[in-house]
Amino acid sequence: MIGPVSVKYAVRGMFRHLRRTILSVIGVGIGVAIGQFAASWMGGATEMQIRAASESGAGHLRVVPAAWPETRENSLRLTDWRKALRAVKRLPGVRLAAPRARATGLLAFGNRTAGVEVTGVEPAAERASNRIVARSRLQGRYLSEGDAGVTVVGAALAERLDTDLDDDLMVTLSGKDGIRSAMLRIVGILSTGSRDLDTSLCHVTLPEHGRLTGREGGGEIAVLLEDYRRVERARRTLADQMPPGDLVVTWEVVNPAIAANVKGDTAFTRFIVFIVVVMVVLGIASAQLAVVLERRREFGVLMALGMRGRQVVSLLLIEAVLTGLAGAAVGLMIGGPVTWLLATKGVDFSELMGGEVAIENVLLDPVVYGSFGPWLIWYALGVSLAATLAAAVYPAWFAVRTDPAEALRTV
Amino acid sequence: MNETTLVEAKDVTKVYRTGQVAVHALRGVTLEIHDGDFAAIVGPSGSGKTTLLNLVGALDSVTSGRLTVLGEDMTALGRRGKADLRLRSLGFVFQAYNLIPVLTARENVEFVLELQGVGRERESRAGQVLRELGLEDLTDRRPPEMSGGQQQRVAVARAVASRPRLVLADEPTANLDGENAEVLLRMMRSLNAEQGLTFVLSTHDPRVVAHARRVVTLVDGRVARDELKEPSRVDDE
Repeated sequence: MIGPVSVKYAVRGMFRHLRRTILSVIGVGIGVAIGQFAASWMGGATEMQIRAASESGAGHLRVVPAAWPETRENSLRLTDWRKALRAVKRLPGVRLAAPRARATGLLAFGNRTAGVEVTGVEPAAERASNRIVARSRLQGRYLSEGDAGVTVVGAALAERLDTDLDDDLMVTLSGKDGIRSAMLRIVGILSTGSRDLDTSLCHVTLPEHGRLTGREGGGEIAVLLEDYRRVERARRTLADQMPPGDLVVTWEVVNPAIAANVKGDTAFTRFIVFIVVVMVVLGIASAQLAVVLERRREFGVLMALGMRGRQVVSLLLIEAVLTGLAGAAVGLMIGGPVTWLLATKGVDFSELMGGEVAIENVLLDPVVYGSFGPWLIWYALGVSLAATLAAAVYPAWFAVRTDPAEALRTV
Repeated sequence: MNETTLVEAKDVTKVYRTGQVAVHALRGVTLEIHDGDFAAIVGPSGSGKTTLLNLVGALDSVTSGRLTVLGEDMTALGRRGKADLRLRSLGFVFQAYNLIPVLTARENVEFVLELQGVGRERESRAGQVLRELGLEDLTDRRPPEMSGGQQQRVAVARAVASRPRLVLADEPTANLDGENAEVLLRMMRSLNAEQGLTFVLSTHDPRVVAHARRVVTLVDGRVARDELKEPSRVDDE
């Protein structure tokens, strides 16, 4: 039985070598703070990439034709995109929904040509949901409902074709019944800051896209949620409401490169945290073992008095828990302000990156902000207690093996 | 073994092995300790006094022979059973007192009761034991704030608080001056006389022998003499 006297014994035991206890607690605290910083960074960077991917056109969820995940064929169309769009908009937790259709084509102006992805959009939904449109510098205007025969192109594309506003481009693309061509007048030029994105950007209205390709309707609906953490639940709910032949996929399916990036970053950060925790565990285990060796006679006496092995273990675990709690508090004192700075000021990579950075048509944020919240407390407690309890295992095992007669005889 | 025999040792041997070297600490001890004994085990250094006490105290295992303590066959008792026997039925007093330095006198006594699973009354019981032994002034003192004699008296209080049937004391007066040794021995004698507690003490100290009613002399791991004697009276001194 572990009662109040045992707890007093454990608590006061920590004050026997105050300097060593303080150093142990600071060691745990620094480990916790590094872990908090890494977790804050990981959380912030992950959230940024998911937000960037979803707001760059992928959506948190995307309604697609059933064959799309395998073929990535942009000529496929949804079974009934208007019905699907209504179902999406009715779903609680949906912030925005943007239907689109895509086609690969060729733009020509004079003797210059460029390969592009011609994207049919609903202008209002696109302006609200797509950061490539919303955040870019716009020369001229963006598309409006009812626009026909007009397009908005990327700045790098316009530069390559040596065109400007009000110029007429010839678009050639593969339509329903073969190669089709039409003239499109440039009403807007978007500059995202990323040359890669600007080179392939060509937006038209969704009805115009239908006319150009001969394939009416939307090929996808990008869905932005209020909370990206509910993506899987929302996917399941929405999937149940889709007609047969259509699927709901997550941003990870749409953007595997970003998903791999997130997974890689997460794994690397966890590895770093693991190394730090292992170092803390070894440090604390060493200190705890020294405590056990110093108190071997005392443990011998306690066992001679009838203390059982599990009670000895409990005593050492109480000390470990107390060290863990103190370490968590120190960790919060160090890690709290640092992660708060990371969360409020962020780390600005814009100079390092020389402008905007896009990966796989995803416009990333140049400033990465850390994650900050009550989770820091649970994280500090979790890491600290896990480390100190793990560190206590070997010393406790060593203590339990104390032979009372031997300890009383030799120490 | 009749009902008043607490310990029965028959041809008990104990051999310690250090590498290739075998040390024969006990070479066939046959002995009985009876309820109410106040026995001193004497003998020169290395004669096996502490070894015998450790075996009786379930701290060590016999190499051969038969040892029964409070009806328990020590050769058949496992680690857990021995711990239970020590906790429930045996009290220990060590040469170096061995109180827990971070606990007060009362908490040291209370600790054993807590290990026994005694509930809320353990605090009052610990206080009562200290009062009965005239140690109430030491209740809230920690060992570093006590003299050696005071610490050893608290150690006796700790040993008897759990109401053991047998108290084993290994050289209890070795670190005490004459006056403190005398006070301690009187305390033990009075517990023996008034509460019927059985004491077995290993010692070199003639002062202990003077108080003992029975003196067992060990030489080279064997019982050389086992004599009953008239102890000095508690109120003589």
